[in-house]
Amino acid sequence: MTFIDKDPATAIDLIKEGFETAGYICDRHIATSIYLSQKLDKPILVEGPPGVGKTELAKAASEILAAPLIRLQCYEGLDESKALYEWKYGKQLLYTQILKEKLGDLLEDAVGLEQSMEKLHQFGDNFYSESFLEARPLLQALKSEVKTVLLIDEIDKSDHEFEAYLLEILSDYQITVPEIGTIKAKTKPLVFLTSNNSREMSDALKRRCLHLYIPFPDASLERRIIQTRVPELEENLRNQLVSFVQQLRTQDLKKLPAVSETIDWARTLMLLHADKLEVDLVRNTLNMLLKFEEDIDNMHSEVPKFIAAARNERY
Amino acid sequence: MDKALADFVEMLRYSDVPVSISESVDAAETVRLFGYSDRTLLKTALAQVMAKTIEEQESFERCFDEFFSFQINPDLNPDGEIAEDADNNQEGPEKAGDSSENLAANDDSSIPNPASGGGEGGGGFSGEQSQGASTDSLIDMLERNDRTELTMAMTAAASAANLRNIVLMTQRGLYTRRILEEMGLDEANREISRRNKEGDEAGADQLSGRLELLFDSVRDMVERQLALTSSGKGKQFRQDILKNVSLSNIEQRDFKHMRDMVRRMAKRLTDMNSRVRKVKNRGHLDIRKTMRRNVAYDGILFETHWKQKHKDRPKVLAVCDVSGSVAAVARFLLLFLYSLNEVLPKVRSFAFSGDLGEITDEFDRMGPEDAIPYAIEKFGGRSTDYGRALEDFKELCLDDIDNRTTVIFLGDGRSNDADPRVDILKEIKLRAKRVIWLNPERKSIWGSGDSEMLKIAPYCTKAETCNSLNKLELILRDLLKSD
Repeated sequence: MTFIDKDPATAIDLIKEGFETAGYICDRHIATSIYLSQKLDKPILVEGPPGVGKTELAKAASEILAAPLIRLQCYEGLDESKALYEWKYGKQLLYTQILKEKLGDLLEDAVGLEQSMEKLHQFGDNFYSESFLEARPLLQALKSEVKTVLLIDEIDKSDHEFEAYLLEILSDYQITVPEIGTIKAKTKPLVFLTSNNSREMSDALKRRCLHLYIPFPDASLERRIIQTRVPELEENLRNQLVSFVQQLRTQDLKKLPAVSETIDWARTLMLLHADKLEVDLVRNTLNMLLKFEEDIDNMHSEVPKFIAAARNERY
Repeated sequence: MDKALADFVEMLRYSDVPVSISESVDAAETVRLFGYSDRTLLKTALAQVMAKTIEEQESFERCFDEFFSFQINPDLNPDGEIAEDADNNQEGPEKAGDSSENLAANDDSSIPNPASGGGEGGGGFSGEQSQGASTDSLIDMLERNDRTELTMAMTAAASAANLRNIVLMTQRGLYTRRILEEMGLDEANREISRRNKEGDEAGADQLSGRLELLFDSVRDMVERQLALTSSGKGKQFRQDILKNVSLSNIEQRDFKHMRDMVRRMAKRLTDMNSRVRKVKNRGHLDIRKTMRRNVAYDGILFETHWKQKHKDRPKVLAVCDVSGSVAAVARFLLLFLYSLNEVLPKVRSFAFSGDLGEITDEFDRMGPEDAIPYAIEKFGGRSTDYGRALEDFKELCLDDIDNRTTVIFLGDGRSNDADPRVDILKEIKLRAKRVIWLNPERKSIWGSGDSEMLKIAPYCTKAETCNSLNKLELILRDLLKSD
């Protein structure tokens, strides 16, 4: 990483540029938190409404750092055997079978039970050893030789217990397997946790992380995002489209359109060869932006007003 | 960690941003990385280290702006208004630096020795015993119009008057007065009247004019200190009081604070209790876990492990009395109900005085500012009839009550001599997991007058007095824990 030794302001600008080449347009806020997390060795807890690019951030970070991305999708009921590690039961069973067969040879010259046990204890205990350990995403990230980006997606969907498992990893970059001991990270991964705030995370978790809130982008940032993501779209239409979406976000809707929806809409309009926003066109494609029937109905009548405003806006 | 950052952390803690020790260590590291020069950058960076929710972020930004603007803006120097002579301009830069230091330290009790900078006058202000000396100095200083000296004296007097303890707006006058007295106000006033008597009106005017300016700048300093520490302290102070004060005595203007507190409380309770799960001994066989457990038995499946987990999603039916007799507390009971609605997935709310009706939808749709008056207007105002209300309740939702349902009644149990129909209550209790009755009245007056509490209480799993927020929280926590 080239930015790590630079002074903060330069480093942050470098990160920002790096993200832009990776196709992720961000503000200084986001770049600062990447810089800080590298400097302080802290995970980043990313919050924000759905569709503002929380997961994309981790992907882009993995791209610019040239570090492989390891992703763990959280859900209700996710437990340590799927996130941390699991024993290879089949192999363990085979191992005991083999052991049984070989036991006779090994204990050949032992006399009496006591001596046999003594002899048995001399062999290394392989039953619970790393060779029987199946690494799940979190352990994979810790065991990796190269730096990785670990994305723990939608942490708010997981259970409280799972949050507790995470604490050790987040603060010390290590996990403890009761049968083996503590496994420390070879290289500390860059950890992102994303949350839609469907439940409040515990203080213990928040304390261990940097907190990054990504809001909906402002108009100029959103225009740049569309420009990068859908470069074929004409500038005039792009401006109108962003202005329209920005107006929609000021309305009282069940679900506000996010950046990903704007991008989808831009692609749709391009497919339809639109060169400017028309009332019918917008009404017919409104379902790309709004995901509730109620919202679409409510906004139907507002469309002409928004289009007019979008056309008249100066840039 | 430097003093300014420590002060800032303290200010944040008072302003609802709980900065832990590890977070302040990180903050110190961040400051070391970024330095104080680029404020915007520092603000962004510190926000991510110290503020961990969106609400905290807002208070953080406010605090940051307030705190750091004092240090960099020389216009806010306490002596800014006094110094009018051009002489001081040349020592401006040097002074700006050192007075900003003073400001950062100005709520500290030990001011970096005033004598060193303030010259011979500085020593005189530390106590009242040296009245004579300090008066001379105050008058002298006013005569000389010496910015530095006056600032030093002001800061010293401020710490002698314990300015850092200021909490409330109403204390401004008091502290301003104390500081001025500490500086020798009395003597200065005497000097003015003496000059007036002796006919030296120009001298008296000049002195009183300068005293006036000094008064303004002291008041500025007091206000700044108030803004710095007290907004948070005052809030905490008020919240501590609100928690313990009887619900009926809380005034309208505190409603908003109550709302935040109640919501936080309800959220805390549900966070602690909502996702209780129990592993059940039936359902799908969990092959992995079963195999793992039985590896020890050579792979023969002795011990089984089942996938089924029992999710405990509490179902709550809450009934709130909004009649005249509980009018004073009805708003808060409803507020609590509302917050419960927000944080628990399955709450059905009902209100009654005479007739009973469901208000769940209204609570879902409207904000508390609209929903609560709506409920009071629609159902309140009539005379209470618990019998009728229970009949309505039975008709509406008795069938929905099962052994996972908690029924909460909020009311005083005063039925205006109508039959409270405890038979229905009994029926409810038989079906429900538990019935809780929260009564704003003290237990000693239960059963007096038209109160039916003594009849009602036996049919409740728990009947409790509940007249302050703290009580409310304790009772509910107990209940949620007990299962």
